[in-house]
Amino acid sequence: MNEIDYTREIPVIEGRPALREIDDLIAKPLETKPDKKYYLALAVTLTMTGIGAIALLLSFYYGTGLWGNNNPVGWGLPIVNFVFWVGIGHAGTLISAILFLLRQRWRNGIARFAEGMTIFAVMTAGIFPLIHVGRPWLAGYLFPYPNQHSLWVNFTSPLLWDVFAVSTYFTVSFIFWYVGLIPDFATLRDRTSNKIKKLIYSVTSLGWRHSNRHWQHYEMVYLILAGFATPLVLSVHTIVSFDFAVSIMPGWHTTIFPPYFVAGAVFSGFAMVQNVLIFIRKIFNYEHIITLNTLERMNKIILLTGSMVGYAYAMEFFIAWYSGVQPEQFTFINRAFGPYAWAYWIMVSCNVIFPQLFWVKKIRRSIPIMFVIAVLVNVGMWFERFVITVTSLSRDYLPSSWAYYAPTLVDGAILLGSFGFFFTWLLLFTKTLPVVSIAEVKAVVEGSQPSHGDH
Amino acid sequence: MSDKILYGYTGIFDTPDEIILAANKVAEDGYKKFDVNTPYPVHGMDNAMKLPVSKLGYAALIFGLTGTISAVTLMYFLSVFDYPIVIGGKPFFAFPAFVPIIFEVTVLAASIATVVTMIALFFKFPNISHPLHDTEYMKKVSSNKYGILLQADDLKFTEESAKELLAKLGAKDITAIYYDQAEISTEHKIFEPKFISLLIIIAVVVSGSTYFALNKLMFMVPFNWMMEQSKIIPQDNNSFFSDGKAMRTPIEGTVARGNMPYQFKGDPESAGKYLKNTLLPTEKNLDLGKKKYDIYCSPCHGYYGEGDSRLRGQFPNPPSLHSEKVRTWTDGRLYHVITEGQNIMPSYASQMTRKERWATILYLRVLQRSLNAKESDLE
Amino acid sequence: MSSNQTNIDYSKKDLPGILTKLGFALFGVGLVIVISAFFIDHTRAAFNNLILLLFLTSIGLGSLFFVALEYLAGAVWSTPFRRVLEFFAATLVILPIVALPLLFNMHDLFHWTHNEVVQSDTLLKSKSGYLNVSFFIIRMIAFFVIWLTFYFVITRNSKKQDISGDQSLTSKNIKISAVFMPFFALTVTFSAIDWIMSLEPHWFSTILGVYYFSGTVLAALAAATLAIVLLVEKGYFVKGMVRDHYYSLGALLFAFVNFWAYIAFSQYLLIWYANLPEETFWFLHRWEGNWMFVSIGLIIVHFIVPYFGLLSQPSKMDPKRLKFMSVWILFAHFYDLYWLVMPTYGKGYAVFGWIELGFPILAVGLLILIFTFKSKNQNLIPIGDPKLKRGLNFRL
Repeated sequence: MNEIDYTREIPVIEGRPALREIDDLIAKPLETKPDKKYYLALAVTLTMTGIGAIALLLSFYYGTGLWGNNNPVGWGLPIVNFVFWVGIGHAGTLISAILFLLRQRWRNGIARFAEGMTIFAVMTAGIFPLIHVGRPWLAGYLFPYPNQHSLWVNFTSPLLWDVFAVSTYFTVSFIFWYVGLIPDFATLRDRTSNKIKKLIYSVTSLGWRHSNRHWQHYEMVYLILAGFATPLVLSVHTIVSFDFAVSIMPGWHTTIFPPYFVAGAVFSGFAMVQNVLIFIRKIFNYEHIITLNTLERMNKIILLTGSMVGYAYAMEFFIAWYSGVQPEQFTFINRAFGPYAWAYWIMVSCNVIFPQLFWVKKIRRSIPIMFVIAVLVNVGMWFERFVITVTSLSRDYLPSSWAYYAPTLVDGAILLGSFGFFFTWLLLFTKTLPVVSIAEVKAVVEGSQPSHGDH
Repeated sequence: MSDKILYGYTGIFDTPDEIILAANKVAEDGYKKFDVNTPYPVHGMDNAMKLPVSKLGYAALIFGLTGTISAVTLMYFLSVFDYPIVIGGKPFFAFPAFVPIIFEVTVLAASIATVVTMIALFFKFPNISHPLHDTEYMKKVSSNKYGILLQADDLKFTEESAKELLAKLGAKDITAIYYDQAEISTEHKIFEPKFISLLIIIAVVVSGSTYFALNKLMFMVPFNWMMEQSKIIPQDNNSFFSDGKAMRTPIEGTVARGNMPYQFKGDPESAGKYLKNTLLPTEKNLDLGKKKYDIYCSPCHGYYGEGDSRLRGQFPNPPSLHSEKVRTWTDGRLYHVITEGQNIMPSYASQMTRKERWATILYLRVLQRSLNAKESDLE
Repeated sequence: MSSNQTNIDYSKKDLPGILTKLGFALFGVGLVIVISAFFIDHTRAAFNNLILLLFLTSIGLGSLFFVALEYLAGAVWSTPFRRVLEFFAATLVILPIVALPLLFNMHDLFHWTHNEVVQSDTLLKSKSGYLNVSFFIIRMIAFFVIWLTFYFVITRNSKKQDISGDQSLTSKNIKISAVFMPFFALTVTFSAIDWIMSLEPHWFSTILGVYYFSGTVLAALAAATLAIVLLVEKGYFVKGMVRDHYYSLGALLFAFVNFWAYIAFSQYLLIWYANLPEETFWFLHRWEGNWMFVSIGLIIVHFIVPYFGLLSQPSKMDPKRLKFMSVWILFAHFYDLYWLVMPTYGKGYAVFGWIELGFPILAVGLLILIFTFKSKNQNLIPIGDPKLKRGLNFRL
């Protein structure tokens, strides 16, 4: 059938499952013992985490000289990874907050999972600024507290804004996530016959009893949190972009950075969520909850944000020429044709060119192709941060100090470890908490809402 | 467990349409204390139950504004009063640069406070147990049924009328819910030995680990506080150089920074003739001179240059500085005395910089003039 | 006519004649002031004419953007009043006429048209490949051609659907809207660069396109909200518009007020912080003399008042508040454009007189006339749209 019937809403959840089936399906991973594949996957991610941990211990013992960072590239891979992971963390809040405010009901099936990814990604991201200070046990000084040196932090520094933004973002995301979990904990509490589980769920569900006198306040809180999380999620990557843009470094100091970074973050975050969801829906049989339509909508957002990023690249280039400022012009020519041209063209092809394939409906709905494109998007977005950070620094205002930056093995091991860390949390999450919101999915099953009385 | 108290009557419905209708009827019937339990929020239920709009928005507003104001005042106080420091040529109160933090603190305060308000006010945390928990009714409504509850403490409630109303509405499984006093007790349980011993354990663990972390762990490897670094310190051996020492002697003809050889060594007459005071008797220079005079000269020469030493004979008293001879000496001649010393007076060249010596001389002139003022000074 | 549309409670009523008269009156008064302005002080009039062009572009192009966005996002809540946006998008048709006087006053408006200045200025010389009169005019024509093409295609399909109710027209419009979006992004950016940024040819900011975009959508949304609330109140609109629709409009207005503030603040902060002389002078011009008050006023008018006016949930669905805030935001957009354009004319001194008053009067008159003219032979709601019924049943 070619024609779509616009007079009827396409159901978000396919097949009109009974409410009890939804409970069973979503609670199943929590009530069954994990299988061999799960342990295998966990072993792989834990090994990766271990490699990263060893690299970190070495770095603490011998110092950050083990990394590739040196003059003039003082911000090497740690900052690249930090920006990358914070970016990954943006899709979750976007899905759960912004799409909630826009009443996009297809988000209900994927919001919980995406929020979880946000939290884990921000945790992963948080590692990097900590280790980048070299002595992470002194990181307490990043917070303004009255200390014996009677010194205060520098409130005008974007790096301090980062501390506030990332910690606020983590806290609010966590609260948002937890508030969403409360009704589900109650449902699980009433399902389980295991005494210990029952105790845990009773405590975590905070006495929830699905009362409509509570739902009313609960929905208000959810709305308020979404209202706060929306500007918050924009502010976080905006502030990350300020780290670069408030400087006078050509290639860093351009005014489009804030919206451009936010678009890029959503872009990479969606790609990551899409990648993982493809596995989740297959393994846990959630194909009718996380439908192909949902994935297609996500691909559309990837296409949209990818084009925004492309727009920003083009704008930077055009304005660098238009400005007539020679260092600006040099920086952009150097990016595209200088020693880091390889990174630049990986970035452009992965971020701008490949996602354009999503204009074709068949590709948007083909799971293998969309998976590959989304992986490429994340590769591209990692390289975008690499290009921004490294090319500008390695060719700064002083030609005598120019140098080629290359990451070391330890840098690579830490990056690998960050992936291991992230996916370990993700794996644990799938087995301990409902990865799909039970209450929210029920609310969008066909026939779950009263038909309007006035019709 | 024995004395069961009636909490209310519950009934179960199968579809959202039914429950909306039922809730509406119950509300219209004049019931105030009743509740509807559904596995997810049903649209339009607030209207059906005639609930007033949630006021939690005000909590968000109040706590958000509190966050804003405290962020602004804190940064204003710290950057303008407590530790003002110019950074990047920006004003102390660099408002645009404070906006990000103000925003973040506002969001943080408002989000936390709104959720805490909800949990504390509406969930009655920490007294979260409720008669409905662990009932068959609860098991149904938390999964796939829609339930209604008529509470016994409503003014209109009687067992008969409640059952009748529920039956009339078409509810299934009409059951009574009981509870006992202990179950719903709102007494605080913080004085129970269990809780107190938990507190004690937490206190011991926290203080012990804090002590260990701050006093022991922080001084173990790898936290060496940069004490051990792979570098060569001055007295080390170093096989790199042929003499086996780490320290190097300066290259021939190296001059230390600020080094200026004194060219009138042993020649006070030329010094008096050719050296000129480089400073003007400004207030700043005189202040400097007074300071240096009081430190270096006054122990022997006295605060006013009258040779009244404070050393009480442990060192020979010098003559007065108000003598004709000293008054007629040129500044250069005095400078020579300070630099080289004279008779028993040692050289002060290493204690006082050149500028300080000239400033001291200016101050000495003031002292001399004060005892031998001219007529013109009175004008 | 598809069967599912039978129970829509709408019969077309003509808008009152007084509205047309009011439109003509305002238009006439405005036109007299504008023409005399050109005779008395043609430089000042040209700058005001540029503001007028930008304002009408905002309304027209922003409305077309929302029409396309509705198709693309598959939104249903806005379907009942999509026609209102389509009517406002008709403003695009008169843009070439509004732009015409500018072409005769290029020399007064744009510093870079002065050949002898460009020759002695290295920076301007390096930009002359982009900033030259012929390319400027070519770009301007290209903008109008692109906008008008999409406008005619999209609205024609929408109008056809009134009679046929053909669902494939919706599919067609979705595709056209998707193609429109990249064109929209580029044209809105480059029109901002041409008409705003090149007024100060030495200045540059990569975000300016987004800045103008944020104002554009806000103004279009405000115009549409005002028209919708008035039409519903006076009973010219279909029955079934409820608080939920109003709330969505109010929430969108609120969101875009914040978006504008976010973009404006980002631009200001980055330039203020880096403190590079090649960028800061643009803001310094807006801080000299009484421009300082205009700049502070901009923050209050364009952000603080609408922010607190639309903050609470009830205020987002209160028709009275929405009417007031829409008028306020339209004024704020004019104010914003004045702040963007006029410092080039009156360096160090913000001028405001009868000339500045005449152009907005003309703009309001034009918009009323366009709206009434378009509503004469078209339904006020897209009666044949398959999403209409769902849109009317929309609940949050």
